[in-house]
Amino acid sequence: MSAAETTPHGDDDAVAGGYLSALAGFEHMTPSRLRHLLRGRTACEAYAMAVGDIPPSPALEVVFSRRLDLRTRWSAQAARRRPEQCWADTVAAGVRVITPDHPEFPAQLAVDPACPAVLFVRGDLAALDARRVGIIGTRNATQAGRSTAAQLGAELAEVGVVVLSGLARGIDAAAHRGALTCPDATPVAVVGNGLDSPYPKQNTELWNQLGARGLLLSEWPVGVAPDPFRFPLRNRILAALTEVLVVVESRERGGSLITAREAITRSVEVMAVPGSVHSRASVGTNRLLADGALTANDTADVLMALGLDHRRAGRARFDARAPLAGTDVDVYDSCREQPRTVDGIMLLTGAGVTETAMQLARLEHAGWLTETGGWFEAIDVWGSLA
Amino acid sequence: MFASIPSAVVVGAQGYPVRVEAHVGPGLPGFSIGGRPDESVRESRDRTRAAILSSQLPYPKTRITVNLAPSDLRKSGAGLDLAIAVGILAAGEQIPLEAIARLAFIGELGLDGSVRAVPGVAPMVGALGDVDVVVPVASALEAEVAALGRVRLVATLGELVAVLNGLTPWVDHEVASPPAEPELTADLAEVQGQPFARQALEIAAAGGHHVLMVGPPGAGKTMLAARLPGLLPPLERAQALEATMVCSAAGLALPSGGLVTRPPFRAPHHTASSAALIGGGSGAARPGEVSLAHGGTLFLDEIAEFAPKVLDGLRQPLEDRQITVSRSGVHVVLPADFLLIAAMNPCPCGGGAPGECLCNADQLHRYVRRLSGPLLDRFDLRVNVHRPGVDELLAHRSAESSATVAARVAEARRRALDRQGCLNRELSGAQLDDFAPLTNPSRAILRHELEHGRLSARGYHRIRRVARSIADLDGGGGEVVDVDAVHLALGLRSAFTKVLPMGRVA
Repeated sequence: MSAAETTPHGDDDAVAGGYLSALAGFEHMTPSRLRHLLRGRTACEAYAMAVGDIPPSPALEVVFSRRLDLRTRWSAQAARRRPEQCWADTVAAGVRVITPDHPEFPAQLAVDPACPAVLFVRGDLAALDARRVGIIGTRNATQAGRSTAAQLGAELAEVGVVVLSGLARGIDAAAHRGALTCPDATPVAVVGNGLDSPYPKQNTELWNQLGARGLLLSEWPVGVAPDPFRFPLRNRILAALTEVLVVVESRERGGSLITAREAITRSVEVMAVPGSVHSRASVGTNRLLADGALTANDTADVLMALGLDHRRAGRARFDARAPLAGTDVDVYDSCREQPRTVDGIMLLTGAGVTETAMQLARLEHAGWLTETGGWFEAIDVWGSLA
Repeated sequence: MFASIPSAVVVGAQGYPVRVEAHVGPGLPGFSIGGRPDESVRESRDRTRAAILSSQLPYPKTRITVNLAPSDLRKSGAGLDLAIAVGILAAGEQIPLEAIARLAFIGELGLDGSVRAVPGVAPMVGALGDVDVVVPVASALEAEVAALGRVRLVATLGELVAVLNGLTPWVDHEVASPPAEPELTADLAEVQGQPFARQALEIAAAGGHHVLMVGPPGAGKTMLAARLPGLLPPLERAQALEATMVCSAAGLALPSGGLVTRPPFRAPHHTASSAALIGGGSGAARPGEVSLAHGGTLFLDEIAEFAPKVLDGLRQPLEDRQITVSRSGVHVVLPADFLLIAAMNPCPCGGGAPGECLCNADQLHRYVRRLSGPLLDRFDLRVNVHRPGVDELLAHRSAESSATVAARVAEARRRALDRQGCLNRELSGAQLDDFAPLTNPSRAILRHELEHGRLSARGYHRIRRVARSIADLDGGGGEVVDVDAVHLALGLRSAFTKVLPMGRVA
């Protein structure tokens, strides 16, 4: 009996889900190995073959011969990853297991050459039926970059576009936060670890909100740790699910550029937000622009790339802060240009150390500036989300 | 025959008088030393014998017994050689006893009979009190600093014996004066830009506040730190004497005047051991860098690279302004009143403007945690230092020289001493209420910081001390600490405030 013939029967689903959750979490399991194992077999048979209960297929024999310790490692995993236990954990975390033959499996992924063999889902997959824009960027973002991401996320969500991102620190989290300001938004996150444990820790609240209001996707079962090798793999799913990918800030190297490359190979439109030539966080995005990426100056540009009417975008956000006056405006504007130090501000205003310290403290207190490591960055109207 | 010769040893930076009793009497030829000598003193038997024979003097062919009193003190070092040799010669009736009646002897002997310098002559001479001391020529300056009586210089044992026998007068040795101390070459005027960090240095110098400079490589942290000594006033007489004793005990050359009056600047490398930094070591308990920096500045570059155990040893001297070194048999208190200035990177990758750092939060925490909370807390000032931008480097703003700033610092220090009799760093919580009362607006600012978890109770007092120093420098005569001083103090303590979880913020 092959997997395709399994009737969607409750018990059978639970059994298959258990074997899939167990198998996908084996150490040294990769999407392609999992695909090999599941090709023409039920999850139960694939599991038995992986742990050595039935003789390996010729394809698996080749895999075993390339990596000599894999056979012993996988057979040792049988004791640690018991299907019943894995299924109980999956259910407890509110996670569903979806394979490509499932009617709800995202169509964009089903036709992808590197289609994941299994998806773990929390939330409503219907979110993927809307127009989809990926907003991604570096974890070590500037305040300005995070603000931009939050603004794009909010304004896109406002016109009904689904925002996809990776739920990492920095740009990703800001984009999601922005999207969640819209009450009807169903943002989507593709993550690189099990759906039971929020990562990174500071995004726990955001993670849970996305699980409740939007959609969380992972190709790794519950309990899998966020190992570094899982993130580039996650990026291909993210790229495959988007129609337009916007890179807000990126270094000369990094995960965002991997996602951008994955997007290009899938003919997904890549856009980049231009940045200062002085900012290291914009080196990658500026290079993308030089390489032919579309410029994303504002939400209208992104909507245009989606082929949507852009006139609805960009409703002004209410700013509760008391307006600035006098030299405060100059200081705020120069911090908006690029991050400034106390020394830099003194040079600009010509004031003494004490007055400058007072002015900066006042502006920080009023929510116009934020300080990290002695650098002051401007907070725009979207900055409170970033 | 018997002779008793005054001499001295040094333990830590403290001299202790020692009586060298020599007895030459009937018995098989032999030489024994009693009275808790350590190995270096026991070696003295061979040195004195060779030196006496090389000086063409008769060596007793009978039994020699030397005792070092008091016997509860463990004696170390070669400084007793000369006294032992003189004792043997006097007991062997080669030197008349009345010639050495009011003389004390310090010096190491060479096998050829020459008299060599030993470390610690200044504290030794100081401990001997009102007697004339005979010291090696090379130790003239150290002896002069501490001597109450006359200082006699000798170059060789033969010369000394001739003098004591009345054959020649005391030889007038040419004392090579050390080269005049070079003027401080590191001037604040050379620092381009960095007005914020300069201000921090000025405040640190005025209030004696310990400073931690946090900044990426190339920001000029070391350059700034090297300019801090130039802002400090010369040492007071009492402190100068203590510093001189430590300097002498460590075997370092004294400045040309003899007395160490310029605040010392010590910059040990981050591989320094605990004994090197704090003091101690086997036997003699040598002064460490904290004592050598007494009255001046201790600069720890790359402080996060120091061994954590070594750094934690700094906590006692920072608190007590002296260090107690206890080993089996040695228990020494050394002065260690210094201004600590330390430098480190903001994170393992070196940091930089927002968006440049490669480190995640965990790495950052681990890096900052290399400094224990209590140590981090001792820094009143935690300043972010940045690489100056091109505009700042090219800005033609004539930077103030060290002398100008030092004058303001001296004025602020005088104000603090007139008011409370100590530096602002030493103000207690109760004293702060008396001497640094806050205005209502400034109290409101600190309340806001406390309520938002950016300031701890300890940090609150530190901010007030720094604010007091800022007000003193300002000179406006304000006895009350106003908003501007509090704002600046907060700005100068901002490094790591947002990195550290509450409770470690201080």
